[in-house]
Amino acid sequence: MEDYKFLFKVVLVGNAGVGKTCLVRRFTQGLFPPGQGATIGVDFMIKTVEVEGEKIKLQIWDTAGQERFRSITQSYYRSAHALILVYDISCQPTFDCLPDWLREIQEYASSKVLKILVGNKTDRDDREIPTQIGEEFAKQHDMYFLETSAKEAENVERLFYEIAAELRDQARSKDASVSSQQRTNHSDSIGLSSLSAKANYFSQNNCCTGGASSN
Amino acid sequence: MALIMCCFEPLELPECLDSLFQHECCCGCCSALRPRYKRLVDNIFPVNPDDGLVKSNMEKLTFYSLSSPDKLDRIGEYLYQKATKDINRKRYKYVEIAMEAMDSLLMACHAQTLNLFVESFLKMVQKLLEDSNPQLQIMATNSFVKFANIEEDTPSYHRRYDFFIHKFSSMCHGAYDNLGLQNNIRLAGIKGLQGVIRKTVSDELVENIWEKQHMEKIIPSLLFNMQSGDLTQTEDATTTTPPQLAESVLRELVGRASFGHISSVLKPLLTHLDNHQLWVPYQFAIHTFRVVMISIQPQYSYTVVETLMQHLGNKTDTSPKTRTSLAVVLSKIIAIAAGESVGPSALDIINNLLTHLRTSVKTTKPETTPEESQYQEALINALGEFANHHPDYQKIEIMLFIMNTVPDLKKKGAELRAEGDQMQNILLKSLLKVGTQYRTAAFEKAFPASFLQPLLKMARSPHDPTRIIVMQIFQALLDRHQNQGVLTNITTQPYSALSQETPSRSDILFVHKYGSNIMQALIDGMVLSDSVESLASTYNTAALLTVEMACHETIQEFLLFILGIQHVSLNVENLAPIHRCNMLSMSIALLCLACRVTGITSLLEYSEKIVDDRREEAPYMLPPLLDKRSGYELNVTLPHLSIDKMALAECLETAGVENKRLQNGTPYELNQVDTAMPRNSWIDTSSTGMSHRDSSADLASNGNDNDSINSSPGMTKKTLLLNEYNFDSMKRALAEPTEAAKRYHREKQKEIVKQFRDGNFEDLMRRTEPKHEVIQNRLNELFNALVDETTITTGEKQPMEKKPIYVTNFPELFYY
Repeated sequence: MEDYKFLFKVVLVGNAGVGKTCLVRRFTQGLFPPGQGATIGVDFMIKTVEVEGEKIKLQIWDTAGQERFRSITQSYYRSAHALILVYDISCQPTFDCLPDWLREIQEYASSKVLKILVGNKTDRDDREIPTQIGEEFAKQHDMYFLETSAKEAENVERLFYEIAAELRDQARSKDASVSSQQRTNHSDSIGLSSLSAKANYFSQNNCCTGGASSN
Repeated sequence: MALIMCCFEPLELPECLDSLFQHECCCGCCSALRPRYKRLVDNIFPVNPDDGLVKSNMEKLTFYSLSSPDKLDRIGEYLYQKATKDINRKRYKYVEIAMEAMDSLLMACHAQTLNLFVESFLKMVQKLLEDSNPQLQIMATNSFVKFANIEEDTPSYHRRYDFFIHKFSSMCHGAYDNLGLQNNIRLAGIKGLQGVIRKTVSDELVENIWEKQHMEKIIPSLLFNMQSGDLTQTEDATTTTPPQLAESVLRELVGRASFGHISSVLKPLLTHLDNHQLWVPYQFAIHTFRVVMISIQPQYSYTVVETLMQHLGNKTDTSPKTRTSLAVVLSKIIAIAAGESVGPSALDIINNLLTHLRTSVKTTKPETTPEESQYQEALINALGEFANHHPDYQKIEIMLFIMNTVPDLKKKGAELRAEGDQMQNILLKSLLKVGTQYRTAAFEKAFPASFLQPLLKMARSPHDPTRIIVMQIFQALLDRHQNQGVLTNITTQPYSALSQETPSRSDILFVHKYGSNIMQALIDGMVLSDSVESLASTYNTAALLTVEMACHETIQEFLLFILGIQHVSLNVENLAPIHRCNMLSMSIALLCLACRVTGITSLLEYSEKIVDDRREEAPYMLPPLLDKRSGYELNVTLPHLSIDKMALAECLETAGVENKRLQNGTPYELNQVDTAMPRNSWIDTSSTGMSHRDSSADLASNGNDNDSINSSPGMTKKTLLLNEYNFDSMKRALAEPTEAAKRYHREKQKEIVKQFRDGNFEDLMRRTEPKHEVIQNRLNELFNALVDETTITTGEKQPMEKKPIYVTNFPELFYY
């Protein structure tokens, strides 16, 4: 149901082939599609998570890593609440590109955006970037850090739940006095001011269907 | 849930119960106790989802919402709730039905309350779009498009379209294994974007669609679809493909863009072309820009050109190929813009193009690669295209402008010379490009003095290619009757395909005013190089000049010019024999042409006679021009085969054409004032002392040769000018030539007498000697006419007759 308290936009960026789409697929659909083709433009997924009893809707924009789509993907940074910067722990070049990505983020994203560094593919045994290196890099650039494996579903749920929780906390602390209704408005979707109030209003007669929002 | 409800649906309870249960029931199961609108909504869903919307019940619902529009928002909300549940349970058929119902309600209701309904409607659309099922997304898009086409009468300040733009753009890039599905998704995405554009573009109060963050999604999405399409438009109207649709949306978008918004469209467009490497090959880029140019509001079209030019300016470090493509695109679209840009903006564009050319020349200093010259070529083409679409008076302005940017090589050091040469060539090429687009009407307008002077200066450039280009510029501007091609062939035979027209009054004035300057420059140019190509181009120019301007009033000027060529070819030192021959050939060819153009038969007969004579004795003095390799024994000093001035004058007299100027004027000389050649002391003496072999006329000519001096002040005969020559005297002379002539004649006579009395023999000899030659020439001519050349044996002048021409030029050598 549309009874989420918060809506956050999460954008995944990183070099081509680091596993952005797989992370999203794993999280939203519980799948690991082998032989996933390169993303074209931007892909979109939605998932509602529950953190401490509060429903948080995550709009996940999965961008193409290919250089040629850079201009359109950049245009999605701006409205993001959280940016997940992904690299492949078994591929040094994807790590080396991180400063470039940060520069882009700096340029196009909001300054308050939550940045998370993710080293993906921990299932691979040809690791090239030790965890520590990634951690240090994240620390230097004021980012959260996590290593994941979309294949083994390792840390994937945790990644998104932590983002949701963090964003919720941020939103709360930012303006504690603002009601949840207006907070929903902050998330530039079709922020129809009366809607969430109505959503609450209708949620009262949802006894038959309550809890249907997540699977 | 729908199943549960279905069980109850057939039980239609009496209406009166409604009033009893107005408050919300918390249990969906008790359908009997639910408010009426809910029951009406429930009833539109069939038991079996495959049966589709229950039409009759839908009508009831529509009627209800029309009669009580205050319930509309609740109906919408309720439908949304139901659809949400169905989505979560993946009962897509029911979702479809709900959406269909919403659509028809949206269509049916035009009440004020629609605004509230729209909110749940859009929420519904968004919900569907959020789902990963592509069919739902397509359906939602269709609904959204329907909504977008509705004109709302109430503004909706709070509505945001961010999500839709995000999502539709994403759909435009949709990738599915099933190609049909992929097409449909992409089509849906494009349609959705179109919908958003339509909804927002005209309404200032809602989302500003032109903002960067939106355009950066919309434009690349459209282009991404366009680029996958076939550029050759298939006239298949039955099915719309994503590329076609994307193109039409782009047209629509661009067409709605106001001045301030154009750059927000163009920036992402250029970035996209960069990112996807769509400049090379340039077909797509051209196609895209055509679309933009055609759809853009015409008054803004030049900004597109400017933006593109700027982009080109930012890309100096990219491969020449990319830049060439950019320039080609520029040349293709510039024409469309040209019609709208006037005045400063036009010159601005020209200046920009020239700057690019200059940068290109500068950056590729040591050697120009073929790619780079292609790029320069493309730029020049763009320039030409641009000029082509301007009215003629502006073309002249443009040419003047370009002329002013041509570097003056004399001011530069030697090291810059090579670069300058190249630059000069490039700029002249652009000038030529513009020139060829110009349709000359009056020469006066085509050659304003400020344009002609530097051009003539350039015509004396020591650099062969430069001169040839200048000649081409002249040809382009002179050729009013498309004779240029005809006249490339140098011949003494008549040109059959020549088309001509009697020169107008203003043409004649032009000849009097500037003709001599041009002819002078041509002669100077001829001397500079013996390359056949260069000579031929000079001939072409001269011939065009003749065809366009020669007539009874101007023929004398042309004859002097022709005599000048002959004279210079024979008298200038250091010319290769072959060079001399070629110049002589050209002079005779020009003479024939001039005769035919003016239709003076006596003159023609004379010239044909010379041709015949030459053919027998010295065919190398006739066209075609000789190549360097031909190994003739080239004796050019055959005075009896030369064109004789006096004979010409006589011919004119016979034809009843004024010949005073010819009789009294001097043929053109090699110019000493303006050439790049160093001042040659020999030429100096020759022109002061010796050039006037026809001394009897010479002395008088100082008084009568007004036209030439008047028209070329400070050029031809500067050294000969007497002190008393000033504007007034010339004016007087023009007004009353005979009296002035007499006066000067008398003075001269006195002087001569004095000189004869006081001067020494050598001096006298030198003064009188040329006279002999004139007489000799005339005699020659007469004898020739009577008994061919063999009979010239009598008279005191016989020894002189055999003298080679250099002897007459160096009498002191001869006499000592």
